[in-house]
Amino acid sequence: MKEKGFDYLNKITAVDYVTYIEVVYMLYNTSTKHLEILKVKLDPNDAAIESVMDIYKAADWYEREMSEMFGIKIKGRDAKRLLLEEWNGVEFPLRKSFLWGKPYKKAD
Amino acid sequence: MSVVRINVGPIHPSTHGVLRLVVDVDGDTVKLVEPHIGFLHRGVEKLCETRMYMQSPSYMEKLDYIAPLAWDELYVAAVEQAMGTPVKDGAQYARVILLEFQRIASHLLWIGTLANDLGQLITAFMWAFRDRAKVIKLLEDVSGSRMFYVNMRLGGLYQPLPDDFKERSYGLIDYLDRTMPEYLDVLDKNEVFIDRTKNVGALSRDDAINYGVSGPVLRASGVREDVRRSQPYYIYDKLKFDIPVMRNGDCFDRYRVRYEEILQSTKIIRQALAMMPDNADVVGAPIKLIGPAAKPDPVVMRREIPRGEGLIYMIPDKQRPYRISLRSPTFINLAVLPKLCEGVKFADIFAIMGSLDLVLAEIDR
Repeated sequence: MKEKGFDYLNKITAVDYVTYIEVVYMLYNTSTKHLEILKVKLDPNDAAIESVMDIYKAADWYEREMSEMFGIKIKGRDAKRLLLEEWNGVEFPLRKSFLWGKPYKKAD
Repeated sequence: MSVVRINVGPIHPSTHGVLRLVVDVDGDTVKLVEPHIGFLHRGVEKLCETRMYMQSPSYMEKLDYIAPLAWDELYVAAVEQAMGTPVKDGAQYARVILLEFQRIASHLLWIGTLANDLGQLITAFMWAFRDRAKVIKLLEDVSGSRMFYVNMRLGGLYQPLPDDFKERSYGLIDYLDRTMPEYLDVLDKNEVFIDRTKNVGALSRDDAINYGVSGPVLRASGVREDVRRSQPYYIYDKLKFDIPVMRNGDCFDRYRVRYEEILQSTKIIRQALAMMPDNADVVGAPIKLIGPAAKPDPVVMRREIPRGEGLIYMIPDKQRPYRISLRSPTFINLAVLPKLCEGVKFADIFAIMGSLDLVLAEIDR
């Protein structure tokens, strides 16, 4: 995509559809002003995706946030501390299986 | 000399909210900065999934309490697209005018707090707050609330504009056009300010694009990118205005870009006021919890909010969003801080941090 002129990574996010997880990449072309949306489907039980950080540096925090909120493993990245901290890394708050109002266990 | 690791914070500096930094220093030279965020994480994205559509605007306003109207409008625009509600003609003008006033207020507060951080330049701080108070007063009289306006409704605004709205707006932008050059005397000619901002924290054009920064930080690095131009919404395509761009990408350029944007905003408001019909109908639909069912197509809504490019990606369900994802511009502008702080002096961290115009509530969401 970068060779085609999409030089700006606007956003990476994910949506949990229960049967599958969809990762959404939003790429932007700063010369033609065009926004392109790419979607990748993942298996929710074993979600893992390649890192794009070597292409777009902007992916750094988005990927960390996504792995923290959805439990998606990012291949090719060192295991770093969680971004928004204090989550135990076992429950993933933006998954639909995470119920609203449930007391949450702190990391040991 | 050996490297020492220092903990900074959690602090509440000109960034609004709580941020903690871990800094590795060698003498006075910074080797590594690692921002720790998450102190204000409230899970707004999850919260919105449990609320009806029109219950959420007040959460959106708390994301960025320096420019709440911008997030309010962004969210309501996303809902409008999901439901297929058209925006009234008069309300389009009114929204543009109010959003630009909000941008002026936000940038003024930023100029004030930056000047305060850089060696207590109290004059600029007091002037900025004096002028911002006048803008806030106008927004208060329009919406009925001083800080969190919650002024957007589907298709328009909450209540009709005050009778003297046009005269007061003209008076306010005339006042701003008159007073803004005064800031040049206390900032651009101030040796302390120049020393602490020129050539500090420079970001090159390629890095700015690769790191995905947006808004004034991107434009200070020489990228002419503004959603108001590249994807015009409302009446922006009918208005004449410039997109200020600088080349060096240092703290001083970020200040200049925001300063010029204030002047451009007054230009926009003046044109919009002239084009706006008298006694325009601006009132939108009152809040109903159960409204018409939204269409299931994903919504991508982009807006140029004062801190950069705000984006909402929403998967609508019938009466509440299935998933809502917020692109907060400062989240990704903060991610570039370690890059900017390579090899600077310790005290410059705060100049750089201030120049990014951080609002931590928006970063943590």
